[in-house]
Amino acid sequence: MNIKLKLAVIIPLIALVASVGVLGVSSAQSNEMNQEHMEKIRKNCLQSKNSLSQLHRSDALLRVNRGQLYESISTKLMSRFNSRVSSAGHNSSNLSTITRDYAQELDQFREDYIAYEEQLSSAESINCTKQPVAFYDAVVGAHEKRQTVRDTVAGLNQMLDDYRRELLRFETSLLKEDN
Amino acid sequence: MAAEEQKPTFLGQHRFLILIILAVFITGLLTVISMSMYISSGAAQLDLSRPGYRAVQDQVDRENRAVQNYSAVGPVNEESINEFKELYDEQLKRAKAVEAFGGDPLSPKSLGIDAAN
Repeated sequence: MNIKLKLAVIIPLIALVASVGVLGVSSAQSNEMNQEHMEKIRKNCLQSKNSLSQLHRSDALLRVNRGQLYESISTKLMSRFNSRVSSAGHNSSNLSTITRDYAQELDQFREDYIAYEEQLSSAESINCTKQPVAFYDAVVGAHEKRQTVRDTVAGLNQMLDDYRRELLRFETSLLKEDN
Repeated sequence: MAAEEQKPTFLGQHRFLILIILAVFITGLLTVISMSMYISSGAAQLDLSRPGYRAVQDQVDRENRAVQNYSAVGPVNEESINEFKELYDEQLKRAKAVEAFGGDPLSPKSLGIDAAN
């Protein structure tokens, strides 16, 4: 048989065997949860579902309040101050850079929250009595996505501090120029 | 002889029914489009009037809407910078007052579904 033909048969076969192997490993990982653990999830099913539901509500409120606050700081304060500085003929490039990065981080916050909320909704919709493994996996996913949202919020707060520091630097240099 | 009476067409005979079917179809289509925009834009996550979220609706912080606009025109001097700092620091304090999305309420341990006995 032609070598090229042999390769054309062997390579797909290897790929098939490898993918079956990967599926087998992931399936084995899902099955790693022992019976005792599954029983624990079933036992605390109702309680954990209630906790998820309460957290969903309180986080939705937090998202609205935080989103409005961060948006207000950007549009009503930072951008306006930058415009004023720039129209007065001063160099506001550092302040503008922080404001631009802040706006990008704010967009990231919105996206991260959507991803988290969807994952949390997905966890809530799973019947944890019948599908304890799927429920556990969904909760772990939501947990990770919530941590991402928290990190993005920390990033936003850091940028607010950076802007404050840059403002002081700008003020100092402006006063020096005036004297 | 008088002009022969024309037999009404299918469209002519059922035009009212067709109108209703078309209206229902267009309404359904527009509803599907608007719902997909509502969900994909992230507006759904901000909508506290959804069932189950009404309880927290009155806890929305009204102070956010009352944040004063800093004037984008005018001189830049010590006085105007101090005015800005005052407004900015007030909001900075509010932003950092609470660690948002902190704690670990979603960890399997907190929910009582961890592997440990």
